[in-house]
Amino acid sequence: MTGNLLIVLFDGLAFGMLLFVLSVGLSVTLGLMNFVNLGHGAFGMLGGYLALVVTREAGLSFFVALPAAFVGAAVVGIACERTLFRRLYRSGELNQVLFTVGLVFVATSIATFLFGTGQQPIQIPDMLRGWVEIGGLRFGIYRIFLIVVALVVTAALVFGLEFTRFGAKVRAAVDNQRVAQGLGIDVDTIFAITFALGCGLAGLGGALAIEIVGLDPTFAIHYLIYVLIVVAVGGLGSIGGSFVAAALLGIADVAGKYFVPELGSFLIYLLMVGVLFWRPLGLFGKR
Amino acid sequence: MLDHVSVALPVGGSLALLGRNGVGKTTMILTIMGILPLSGGSVRFHGQDVSTLAPHQRARRGIGWVPQERDVFPSLTVEENLTVAGRPGRWDLASIYGLFPRLQERKGNMGNQLSGGEQQMLTIGRTLMTNPDVLLLDEPLEGLAPIIVEELTAAIRRMATDEGMALVLVEQHAEVALDLTEDAVVIERGVIAHRAKSRELLADRETLDRFVGLNLVAD
Repeated sequence: MTGNLLIVLFDGLAFGMLLFVLSVGLSVTLGLMNFVNLGHGAFGMLGGYLALVVTREAGLSFFVALPAAFVGAAVVGIACERTLFRRLYRSGELNQVLFTVGLVFVATSIATFLFGTGQQPIQIPDMLRGWVEIGGLRFGIYRIFLIVVALVVTAALVFGLEFTRFGAKVRAAVDNQRVAQGLGIDVDTIFAITFALGCGLAGLGGALAIEIVGLDPTFAIHYLIYVLIVVAVGGLGSIGGSFVAAALLGIADVAGKYFVPELGSFLIYLLMVGVLFWRPLGLFGKR
Repeated sequence: MLDHVSVALPVGGSLALLGRNGVGKTTMILTIMGILPLSGGSVRFHGQDVSTLAPHQRARRGIGWVPQERDVFPSLTVEENLTVAGRPGRWDLASIYGLFPRLQERKGNMGNQLSGGEQQMLTIGRTLMTNPDVLLLDEPLEGLAPIIVEELTAAIRRMATDEGMALVLVEQHAEVALDLTEDAVVIERGVIAHRAKSRELLADRETLDRFVGLNLVAD
């Protein structure tokens, strides 16, 4: 029983870390730039299909596919930001929601057209397969890998935002856009780069997700819901909040499906409602 | 609303923009920065028309805006506030801390943990760190305790006389502003009502009283 519990905790944490990588970019763009990008899941899906193309069509390693998914999603993200999203920064949230949800449908159709509706498997390297056995319990190597990647991403984000000049510029631009511009900070470019990083992380998350949850054209909308729960529970703009919320949701989801299958995936919604009743701004939300 | 207001400032010169509340002094500063749109005329800097440039481009050309209301960045530390927009030149952290020693004592504090006077010092220091050719100071002494006003006045004087920094000073405290500058204009109902040498206007009590009388500092 304790063994099962440990494994469920571990699997849940790994799933949570996957959700974290998928959603932290949205937390940053939503919390810092006040842009409601419901197309975030579509960038995750883009990363997934890019990883698929790199490994299957180009025959390259999964370790090449991961950075490729990040860069590809970031580049498409910056292109969308420059041409489409920036026009919506000053319009209302409803416009942003409608437009970006529209993009999800477009992305879903494109994915269906190119890859069909079926689930796409991905080839992962042998070294990520299998498990390590500790005290009779088997811990999946790929899941360990997921946790490590998420920790590295968290460390890089916290360092980049809190301890670099670029991070200080992002925070300054968020604090007071007008004054930041008046001091010579190119707020437009700073926001575009931030947005691209957020999309890139979604792409990385999408590529990492295939091995765990598979990939089909509904990915963009299906995981958008998880992503939004993570952002809402964690608190807008809080990297630490997203991390904790993602871990919590991942564990609750896996534990719920394992121990109370009758509730199925409903447990995470209960958890979300509970947390938001207790802290309406999310666990670490400030506004 | 401002109409047909024309001012010029030579390199290293200093100008006081005086006038009652709401006559458009801040509007003028914001228009020079490109934050508010220019409906006619032009903004020229070092002989070049900068009217079509974005605010950050004007700042990079050397126009140093010190905003009103002490808009420090609350989620940055004092030191980050200073360095975030800094550009290389005569002013660096050491010289800013020399000008405002209090900021050095509080360099690890967040921007929103400072007193009003310290926030104003930080706002000025932050703009100086961009090494501008001219400083546009928008009511830097507003609402501060007399002792802080004195400290800031001394610092502004040091910048103007010792460092030859060009200044545009918007102030309600007419006497302090005139004391710190060479030239002065008085804005009234959106137009320039009076131009004078600051020293002469300071001596001309009658004119001063007529335009900005309500805001004279009693001494």
